[in-house]
Amino acid sequence: MGALQSLPGRPEYSDLAEKTGFSFEQIGVLHKRFKQLSHNEETLRRDHFNEIHDLAFNPIRAQIIEAFFDRRNFHQDGEGKVQEIGFEEFVVVMSHFRPPSDHMTEEQREKTRREKLRFLFNMHDTDNDGTITLEEYRHVVEELLSRSGTLEKETAKCIADAAMLEVASISVGHMEPDEFYEGITFEHFLKLLDGFEIESRMTIRFLNMDTTTLCK
Amino acid sequence: TNTYHLSFHVQAEMLDFLLFGALISAVDPVAVLAVFEEVHVNETLFIIVFGESLVNDAVTVVLYKVYISFVEVGAENVQTADYFKGVASFLIVSIGGTMVGLIFAVILGFITRFTKKVRIIEPLLVFLMVYLAYLTAELFSLSAILSMTFCGIGANKYVEANISQKSRTTVKYTMKTLASIAETIIFIFLGISAVDKSKWAWDTGLVSCTLVFIFIFRAVGVVGQTWVLNRFRLVPLEKIDQVVMSYGGLRGAVAFALVVLLDGEQVKAKDYFVATTIVVVFFTVMFQGLTIKPLVKWLKVPRATNRKPTINEEIHERAFDHILTAVEDIAGLQGYHHWRDKWEQFDKNYLSKLLLRKSVYRKSELWEAYQKINIRDAISVIDQGGNVLTSARLSLPSMASRASFPEVTNVTNYLRENGSGVCLDLQVIDNIPGAKVEEDMETHHVLAGNLYKPRRRYQSHYSRHFMPLGEQERQDREVFQRNMRSRMETFKSTRYKRHKKERSLKKVRRIKLQVTSPPTSSCDSLSLCSDPVVVPVETEDKAEHSDPEKDEDVGITFIARKAETPKQRPKSGCQIPLLPPPPPAPPSPPPASSSPTSEDSHLPWKGSLGSPPPCVSLEATKIIPVDLQQAWNQSISSLESISSPPAPAEPVHPRVSALSRLGGPRPASYTPPGSAAGSTFSIGPQVSQGSFLFPDKKKEEEEEEEDVEGEWLRRCSRSCLP
Repeated sequence: MGALQSLPGRPEYSDLAEKTGFSFEQIGVLHKRFKQLSHNEETLRRDHFNEIHDLAFNPIRAQIIEAFFDRRNFHQDGEGKVQEIGFEEFVVVMSHFRPPSDHMTEEQREKTRREKLRFLFNMHDTDNDGTITLEEYRHVVEELLSRSGTLEKETAKCIADAAMLEVASISVGHMEPDEFYEGITFEHFLKLLDGFEIESRMTIRFLNMDTTTLCK
Repeated sequence: TNTYHLSFHVQAEMLDFLLFGALISAVDPVAVLAVFEEVHVNETLFIIVFGESLVNDAVTVVLYKVYISFVEVGAENVQTADYFKGVASFLIVSIGGTMVGLIFAVILGFITRFTKKVRIIEPLLVFLMVYLAYLTAELFSLSAILSMTFCGIGANKYVEANISQKSRTTVKYTMKTLASIAETIIFIFLGISAVDKSKWAWDTGLVSCTLVFIFIFRAVGVVGQTWVLNRFRLVPLEKIDQVVMSYGGLRGAVAFALVVLLDGEQVKAKDYFVATTIVVVFFTVMFQGLTIKPLVKWLKVPRATNRKPTINEEIHERAFDHILTAVEDIAGLQGYHHWRDKWEQFDKNYLSKLLLRKSVYRKSELWEAYQKINIRDAISVIDQGGNVLTSARLSLPSMASRASFPEVTNVTNYLRENGSGVCLDLQVIDNIPGAKVEEDMETHHVLAGNLYKPRRRYQSHYSRHFMPLGEQERQDREVFQRNMRSRMETFKSTRYKRHKKERSLKKVRRIKLQVTSPPTSSCDSLSLCSDPVVVPVETEDKAEHSDPEKDEDVGITFIARKAETPKQRPKSGCQIPLLPPPPPAPPSPPPASSSPTSEDSHLPWKGSLGSPPPCVSLEATKIIPVDLQQAWNQSISSLESISSPPAPAEPVHPRVSALSRLGGPRPASYTPPGSAAGSTFSIGPQVSQGSFLFPDKKKEEEEEEEDVEGEWLRRCSRSCLP
């Protein structure tokens, strides 16, 4: 772990640390990884992500990669996509997956929860219109199920439709005959995943990094 | 070594106490299971305690054997090396037992892959293989209990998928019964021993100290280990969890069995130990077992949620797994998700291929979950029994039930939203039958829509090797399809303008009923019979039909499924292509089809048009947007089941018949556009007439059948290509 002591640019890390909640060590490790991924360039592009071998088999690879380039996830109230990201944005996106720190107030927990769910929502809502329409949801389900390979598109669509039905019933309850269910808004999404323990589901332990990976 | 004297009675040495400690500290899985199932604590806690007890069993037995061997040798003769050997043997025995179990798990999974034809022996196979695992482990002096446990754990996924539902039930209940019997016998024995003075000797000091100590030291052990564990856990174990874990450590039958097995010659204090064990077991089971429930309530331990996950939750569960794996990969971590993902890949690519039956292998878990949810919903709908009318309207239990039976449901609009290709049952619009017919239709409609196909009463075979598909399963499937159908209906989304609604509503009532035709033996009509689906769907359109020019929303609806003749079987996968609307026509080619049947002529609205019931051919199905085809097909297959077909002319491919339930081919009722038969897809004039297109005469159709099929094939293959 000696390598971590001699990280360059320590002072820069302090505002990053404050912004994202990571510790210096974690940021250091992430910086190393960033350099590794970007071949020591300043910015990461999509093709850098595509080089990650393990990611190749992941069914939602595309969405995750897009999520890194999505301005909405940079916490700067921006919209749209960028072509390349710097280290700061990289860390900000990663911070969505940070484990909750031990001493969090109820408010902070709620905030983190919302952030995480917002990240998820943005991932599904590809056209940035604030709602997840049926098409988008179908796309999600298809991507998820495409890994099993043998599931037909129709089945995936079927499942997505049923899921939409469910969302409609949970969020809107009884619908009038001529009501149109536009799509899942963020509020509905929150309600939908109310029972989910996001804090534990959407977390990764950043410190347990395998040094051998870093050396690859 | 020293001998310890307790109250001048017990003479036991260090080793004896070690032995006693080993057997008394083991938590008994049966007792734990019984109590915790009663209490319904949350899953994490349950798994921790139950898992501990499961492995404890083996650990205890292994330790016990190690110590027994030391005792036999005599404490003086034990050298330091032997202690290490003891530890080593412990490791070998447990790990060895596990490996044996896993090997048998693989064998078992593999065997069950081929038992499709001999379903009846599946439970037997399961028992025997597991017993074999036990015996093999015993043979090599490995831990037999661990072997059985891990055999079960390892084989569970594959065996459960491979064997039939009945076998699963059989295995489950037989095991429960056997376990129950065994446990009861042991407790009977315990009880008898308690009363039989010759078997034990009382020592107050030992007993009381033991009771106190087991409680204290268990708590200490739990707290210590939790502290260590929490450093690695994302969701730390709370104090409450720890309390429950300590308190939930019930001793049971295993301890008693082991203590009774001690050799009185070698272990002089055996009788005292027996007494102590009896007291401990009684105390923990009765006192702790009885009080744990109030304790759990008092401490407000998070309870298990019995709520089955919704579809959305299931989807997101899987989504999370993938997301986290992806992020881990990006961040270069080889974390938990990474390894788990690797394992799943391995499992999917090698293990499952080897151990799962092909048909099972193809289904995805999500689909299974989805089906299960549907079946469950459907069954619960049935269970609500009573009101046949409203039950037809319920979809998801969570969904508010729709108001009244004839209320318009808008799959139409939903479909419309998804674009094109809709077809209308125009014919129906213009013909308004008399009230009486309406009533009959309504009755029929209600009945058909809500009752199931009458069960056949005959009982079939008693063959040892053949087990016919049960009525229950058929019924379940039917329920599922019905539910799916009603579910689709209740999904409301519409862009449809309100002003059309009133008009359509009126027409709905009438039209809806009209559409139903009595279950004629000719297949075709079935499409229209009993279709809460069809009808409502069409309704919205009806009103529109009067304005053919306005094709903003051309309605849809379709139902029908063409008889799947054997020739078409290979294309059955292809049924779904979306036919491009023929150029001249506006985007909603009407269905072509149906063969005329004489029976239909009596229906007034049909009479004038001279023939075919508004049955739609397979072509029509193709007109439904691709994305809804599957759901649609399921719906219609249930519709088809309503009307009973004539005796099938030829055996139908099982898959096809499972879909259509009718078996038997039907005359092709499709005419390709532009064909000489004159039925075309042109909407214009027909639309305004309100009739829908179908071939004029049956004969012509049949002549063209060959051609139709070829044409259909071609179209199909064309549209099938991505």
